[in-house]
Amino acid sequence: MWDQVGQALSQSMNRMLSEMASLLPGVVALIAALLVSALAAWILTAILRRSLARIDFDRRAAQWGFQALADWSPAKSPTLLATRAVAWTVMLIGFLIGISAFDVALTSQFVVRLFAYLPNVLAAVVVLARSVLIGAVNLNLQYARLLSAGVKWLVTVLAVAMALEHLGIGGGIIRLAFGILFGGIVLALALAVGLGSKELVSRSLDREASKSSNQNMQEPVGHL
Amino acid sequence: MDAVSQPELERIERAGGADLVVGILDPEPDGQAGAAVASVREALAAFSADSSKVARAVVLCNNGTGGSAATAPHLDSVDSGGQSPTVFCYNLPAPDPAETHQPSMSHAYRSVVAVGGRLGVRACGVIASRLRAATPQWIFRLVQPVLDLGFDLVAPRYTRHKMEGLLNRSVLSPLHQALYGEQLHNPVGPDFGLSGKLLQRVLERDFGASRGAERDPLTSIAPTAACGGLRVCESHLGARTQPPTDWMNLSSLLARILGPTFLEMERQAPFWQRIRESHAVPGFGLPEAASEDGGTVDVRRMMESFQLGAQNLQDVWGPILPPMTLLELRRLSRQLPDQFRMPDDLWVRIVYDFALGHRLRTISRDHLLRSFTPLYLGWIAAYALEMETAGSSEIEARTERLARAYEAGKPYLVSRWRWPDRFNP
Repeated sequence: MWDQVGQALSQSMNRMLSEMASLLPGVVALIAALLVSALAAWILTAILRRSLARIDFDRRAAQWGFQALADWSPAKSPTLLATRAVAWTVMLIGFLIGISAFDVALTSQFVVRLFAYLPNVLAAVVVLARSVLIGAVNLNLQYARLLSAGVKWLVTVLAVAMALEHLGIGGGIIRLAFGILFGGIVLALALAVGLGSKELVSRSLDREASKSSNQNMQEPVGHL
Repeated sequence: MDAVSQPELERIERAGGADLVVGILDPEPDGQAGAAVASVREALAAFSADSSKVARAVVLCNNGTGGSAATAPHLDSVDSGGQSPTVFCYNLPAPDPAETHQPSMSHAYRSVVAVGGRLGVRACGVIASRLRAATPQWIFRLVQPVLDLGFDLVAPRYTRHKMEGLLNRSVLSPLHQALYGEQLHNPVGPDFGLSGKLLQRVLERDFGASRGAERDPLTSIAPTAACGGLRVCESHLGARTQPPTDWMNLSSLLARILGPTFLEMERQAPFWQRIRESHAVPGFGLPEAASEDGGTVDVRRMMESFQLGAQNLQDVWGPILPPMTLLELRRLSRQLPDQFRMPDDLWVRIVYDFALGHRLRTISRDHLLRSFTPLYLGWIAAYALEMETAGSSEIEARTERLARAYEAGKPYLVSRWRWPDRFNP
């Protein structure tokens, strides 16, 4: 009987060891890929940091109209933002290469989905936020920038939630969290408009309506 | 070319073609087709003394009855001394209900030009202004220089008070003068007289097959004539009735007009870069005195719009305008109303930079054109404040000064056009 127990244990141990042995090359490849990508990221960021420092990129970025870039960057340094972005991109590529050692199909599907989705989302967010900003300014709304920022963040949150659901990450938790967040925002806005600001909104709407009608009646201005 | 059916065109051709096409594009015809034909008859009567001028004319009329273009045409004739000009009258196709005014006007223009080109007419007159203001004299004054004096393009010159035609004064007219070297007061009409030669040149260009295409015939007629070396003149038509400004859709108007203007500029770049100075074009007709009382203008709202734009649109204007211009705009937005003046050279650089930004697609073209609205309102406010007590001679001098500023700033445009990446503070 003890022989049989010993055999069963030894067989299960052998199976486990063979499974581990089959995974081991993939793990080694992953670690190697990560180490190589870390080294490559370090070299690239060093070169990039020196190049950007040489052309005084932090000051030039503000001159070229990218003041928002400076505001968003860590330590208000676009150079740091750029180098970190490059570093993490190289690390991500190394990770994906390492993952492919386990399952090539999985990696390629993931990469295709991710890189097909992201540019569209980013472009849509930028275009929508800018459209809202220009439209709000042309309508003489004093809170144009706030409105544009609000729209930008709402669209970003919506897009991230949709992306996570599409990728199958999180599942019901993401849906629930998004629902609570979005629903809470909408409820808060509704309460603010309905209860707290109704007189202000009413006066603002009356003012806008009378401005436009008075303008049409009184302004003797022609354009063509 | 769906205003006139193919069988009808062939019938007119068998009858000897037509000498003249007149398009009446009144946007609110209110059943004034009869008035339109009567106006054409009266204008043709002035030619009837020399009957070799116009033997057959086609009138394309927007009478707003809708329905298909295959309305049975009616033959109309003007009896004059036994040799009557024959008038064929057709209805233009009804515009798509979803279309706004400007695209439907462009399509109507294309229809008129296409019919005129197909029939090989010697002259084409288009009245796009309100028929209530346009008189038979308008048709005569637009067509007579073409038929009698051999001009290829007769541009309109309207009698305006100081707060009318502002987009023309601020951008279209001086820009045309600086680029193409011709001093036209209304380079985008909309009322024009065209020769058969110019019609063919216009038809050779691709307007785009679909309605609502970016290119607009109104903005390309005058540049086509200038770049083709054709003879251009102006004709005084009198006062023109305009619809009230829709302040809620001003940005759409700017996008509809400036977009095709900048596109035309891009297409004609090899030509206008060689032009060095402008010349006046011959004028016909007697100018009428404009009324001095143009009404009061509330500039506060326009200044508020400009200030709001200066505060909030820096990120949008940043890729288009150089840093010095942005700095000047910010300084201008902080000025009090009595000191609010937009220098001509600043305005000229802004227009040229927007044209360049449109060409390079620095940002979405629609966003670029709509973000121009606060700047335009700022210019109007500064102009209204400066010209508050000015008379007509001072207004003319002011307009001339701005046109000279456009010409003086042209080297800036040419250098940025050729080397857009060059360092430009």
